[in-house]
Amino acid sequence: MEDERGKVRALIEMATNSTEREVDPRLLKAIKSVVRYSDPELRLAAQALMDLMKRDHSQVRYLTLLIIDELFMRSKLFRTLVIENLDQLLSLSVGFRRNLPLPAPPAIATILRSKAIEFLEKWNASFGVHYRQIRLGFDYLKNTLRFQFPNLQANAARIQQERREREIKTKEILRNKFEILGQNLSTIKEEIQSTIDEIGECLDIIRAKEENMALAPLDDDDFEEFRSSELRQIRLDSLKEGEKVHENNDNTVVFDALRELYKLLMTKHMGSVQESISVLIRVEVPDNRLRDSMLKELIDIRNRLVSVKKKCEESGCALATNVKEEEEEEEEDFWEEGKIGPTEKGSSSTPSKPKQKLQNLAVASTSGEIKNEQSDNNELRKTDSNSPRSKLLSEAPVVEWGSFLGNWGLDRDFMANQRGLELDNHWGRVDYDAVIPAEKIAELNLQATFYKEEPVEIQPCRAPLRKGGLCQRRDLKVCPFHGPIIPRDDEGNPINQKNPSSDENPIQKNSLIDDETPLDLGSDLSEHLSEQLAKQAIQNVRGREHEEGKKRKIDKQSLNRAKLAKVMEHNEAVLRNAALASTSRSEAVGEDIEVTNGKKSSTRNKKKTLASMLQNKVTTKDRLAQRLLNTRARGATTRQLTMGEEDTYRENFPNQW
Amino acid sequence: MWKQIGGREAGQIRPNSFSNRVKSNRVSSLQLSNYKDIVSPHRGAVNSLQVDLTEGRYLLSGASDASVAVYDVQRATDYEGGGLIAKHKSIVVVDKQHEQGHKYAVSSAIWYPIDTGLFITGSYDHYVKVWDTNSTQVVMNFKMPGKVYRTAMSSLATSHMLIAAGTEDVQVRLCDIASGAFAHTLSGHRDGIMTVEWSTSSEWVLVTGGCDGAIRFWDIRRAGCFRVLDQSQSQLGRRPPLLERSALNKVSMSKSSSVGQNLSAKLRPQQRKSTNGNGIKQSPIGRIPAKASARQRLHPGMLSGQDRATAHYGAVTGLKITDDGMYLLSAGSDSRIRLWDVQSGCNTLVNFETARLQTSKAIQIATSQDPALVFVPCMTAVKAFDVWSGKTRMAFRGHYEYVNCCWFSSQDQELYTGGSDRKILVWSPSRLISDESDGESMKDQDNWSD
Repeated sequence: MEDERGKVRALIEMATNSTEREVDPRLLKAIKSVVRYSDPELRLAAQALMDLMKRDHSQVRYLTLLIIDELFMRSKLFRTLVIENLDQLLSLSVGFRRNLPLPAPPAIATILRSKAIEFLEKWNASFGVHYRQIRLGFDYLKNTLRFQFPNLQANAARIQQERREREIKTKEILRNKFEILGQNLSTIKEEIQSTIDEIGECLDIIRAKEENMALAPLDDDDFEEFRSSELRQIRLDSLKEGEKVHENNDNTVVFDALRELYKLLMTKHMGSVQESISVLIRVEVPDNRLRDSMLKELIDIRNRLVSVKKKCEESGCALATNVKEEEEEEEEDFWEEGKIGPTEKGSSSTPSKPKQKLQNLAVASTSGEIKNEQSDNNELRKTDSNSPRSKLLSEAPVVEWGSFLGNWGLDRDFMANQRGLELDNHWGRVDYDAVIPAEKIAELNLQATFYKEEPVEIQPCRAPLRKGGLCQRRDLKVCPFHGPIIPRDDEGNPINQKNPSSDENPIQKNSLIDDETPLDLGSDLSEHLSEQLAKQAIQNVRGREHEEGKKRKIDKQSLNRAKLAKVMEHNEAVLRNAALASTSRSEAVGEDIEVTNGKKSSTRNKKKTLASMLQNKVTTKDRLAQRLLNTRARGATTRQLTMGEEDTYRENFPNQW
Repeated sequence: MWKQIGGREAGQIRPNSFSNRVKSNRVSSLQLSNYKDIVSPHRGAVNSLQVDLTEGRYLLSGASDASVAVYDVQRATDYEGGGLIAKHKSIVVVDKQHEQGHKYAVSSAIWYPIDTGLFITGSYDHYVKVWDTNSTQVVMNFKMPGKVYRTAMSSLATSHMLIAAGTEDVQVRLCDIASGAFAHTLSGHRDGIMTVEWSTSSEWVLVTGGCDGAIRFWDIRRAGCFRVLDQSQSQLGRRPPLLERSALNKVSMSKSSSVGQNLSAKLRPQQRKSTNGNGIKQSPIGRIPAKASARQRLHPGMLSGQDRATAHYGAVTGLKITDDGMYLLSAGSDSRIRLWDVQSGCNTLVNFETARLQTSKAIQIATSQDPALVFVPCMTAVKAFDVWSGKTRMAFRGHYEYVNCCWFSSQDQELYTGGSDRKILVWSPSRLISDESDGESMKDQDNWSD
């Protein structure tokens, strides 16, 4: 029993003897498990904790307080034990008694105080009803001593309340929407149905014409009337792919109507249906059956819309390309067209202002268009290599592939919030008209280009080795074994030895000796000798001239240097005088800094202990204060003031004193 | 408990002793009440507390912020915490905003002993005011020569309506509510009078304690004080039984004559003037023979003014006469509590285990009759001592600053304490188990998560 009794005390001692900000969780767990099953242990623990709270060290008190809080929140017996001495506990942890301030170190003392106040608030919130003492302490600190409580509870409650209000508001809005929807559903349905019907009719007409047109390719003459040979080929290809409806003078009206209807369908109806579905999903109404049936209907409508859309796209693709090809034909400039394409793409894929909608009639899905462009490109490459395109290609910069290529050369604003994501209500209200300006896009798409070193093939040394074979070392200029790398023949002999005499570096010699080919190149040498001598002479003359020039330069420099040295000497003398006048203090300060630095490093090296926390560190502030308060400093400032008179002189000769 | 009830039913236990047993049981289990909160409107130290003597229902408190408040301690004004905590809010508040209110700290607030229609306040602004409780208007105003430290009214008085006021001044003044004037001016103290207390056995006897450390007994029908308590005059323990007393009297008689002090009052009942006169004649001779002629001219009653005996070193800060009127408890700034035998005027030499007492302010002591306990504010705590042995029975810790006053309501066996932390705390016997177990067991339990 005795060792058992000591156990919890030892555990608590251990847990509080630390410099950490937290109690070691394992120790804490151990304490809890010991205390949980034995009341005498708990009493002992309470006793030990109260003793520790009296320790003259804020860190110990802080950790003790943490343990107390842990046990306080859990054990009723512990609560009753602690409550009896609550005023003592509070005075030790909050330090509200003037004659009992919190002990050093002050940094932890402030943490201790704030923590204690926080705990008291927590305790008051959870157990205040049962313990008058807690209420009293809380009330005393709050109302009499006016301590600032963190007010966690109230804040949390307020936030909760705000959130609830917001939810209620959104629910209200949803319900309103739902009611409106319920009223409008039939009209919406009718409208959609009518558009779908119209689209169907249009498609029927086109199909009928298409069947007529299917005969047309057979009639070549007729075909050639309005299409060039290349495009005829394209046409044939596309016709082979089949199913593509094309527009001509006869069915333009129908196509226009179709496009308009399609637009209407996509922008207005699709949107409204999506929106109402989302409303139905989110709304909470007492009558679920009505909602479900409405939801079902809407989903049906949406599916129908999607299928119609698909149909339209199937016909619309061909239609769009036709338009483009005609334009190409007329303008004879392919790349101009490239710029138009994307704008059309953008306007068709994003529902922008209604005016634009009417102007840009090209109705096509983006994917289809891209495909078409690509196919066009391929065809162009195939057909004529001399086209302006190939010319431009030859001088076009090569850029790494990236998503920005999609918007290459694009000069339009970008809709920020229309990327096919339902952004609504995730982050509050969404401004669908938000626009990223074109300059910003360009800025964002600015590509960093990295310099890439061109791979250089480093030549092997190829000097003959003693053991046979050639040296395979690849060095840039000089092989560490065989000297400079020079072109050699297959056996390793240098092909071109220009001026061995002037060049004569020892490594070269060594290599020659190593090679053990004692001047069997003599004949070569004699042949080149005269040439080399001449070269040498020229070099010598040039070198001398060069040297003379150098000398002159050096002379000039030395003159300058002498002048400078004079000035510097003067400066140094002045500095020395100044130092002599004011040195002792500044020296002392310097030493001081060194000393404190040394102390700091030593404490850093030492393992942190509770005792070390109590040591006062000499802070910069202290030092500054000390220095400022010094009379010597005052004297220095007066001296500085008198020296102000010399300023004019100094300005004239800025590098002299 | 049940056994006692059974005994009472069978007639084995007398009603008086039964109720005393129950009461003493309850008193011994006093603790800070969790279900009774007095919401103090005061913004200063609470200096005085009293529950009215007629109904035992209305608590009167006076505080340093010149405010006086009345609470109903029987019926709560509202409840909190699911009906668990009864809040007693003040039903009457008089503070500085009141046109007739005091300007400075109220040092003493007492009920008119006959009913709750009047109460009396004394303040540092030199005034003693009598208030009508129902209209909260001042009925009467007494201007005092200095700060008023304590006022008192006799609970037994049938023939007079005198307020005894202890002030900065050396004289005790008795203010007559009937006439609105000072009826008496009792002089004898050499310094301000910290506390005044009427005897609980005689309506004419007043006890005062001064800053000079003297405790004086006055018979208001006569001039001068008839007794000055001396801490060196002592007897051991309680008053000896009657038979032994005569023998003891002889001893003390011889002692007193040798000392040459006026001890006759303690030897014989004060009504017997002849012996008193003897004593007076004796005492001055030994003491100051040179001034004999001057003394001859003094009224016999005034002679006690020459007596410089002290009951405490330093000021006497608190006085309380036990309910039977036989003993007097006094507290001094020397951190001592003394128990005096009123009859003999002797210090009974009971050693009360006080650690420290507040020295600068008058404190209010309370006693309980049946387990004879005295409740004394000792710095931040209130301690309950056994009157006869001086042993600490209980300590009530709850205040965060010095406790100034306490009042024991013998009817409810509740203790009220007021401190400098502006709080009035209620200490009540723990509730019966049956009503305790319903609310508390819901939430206040062990909560081990691991």
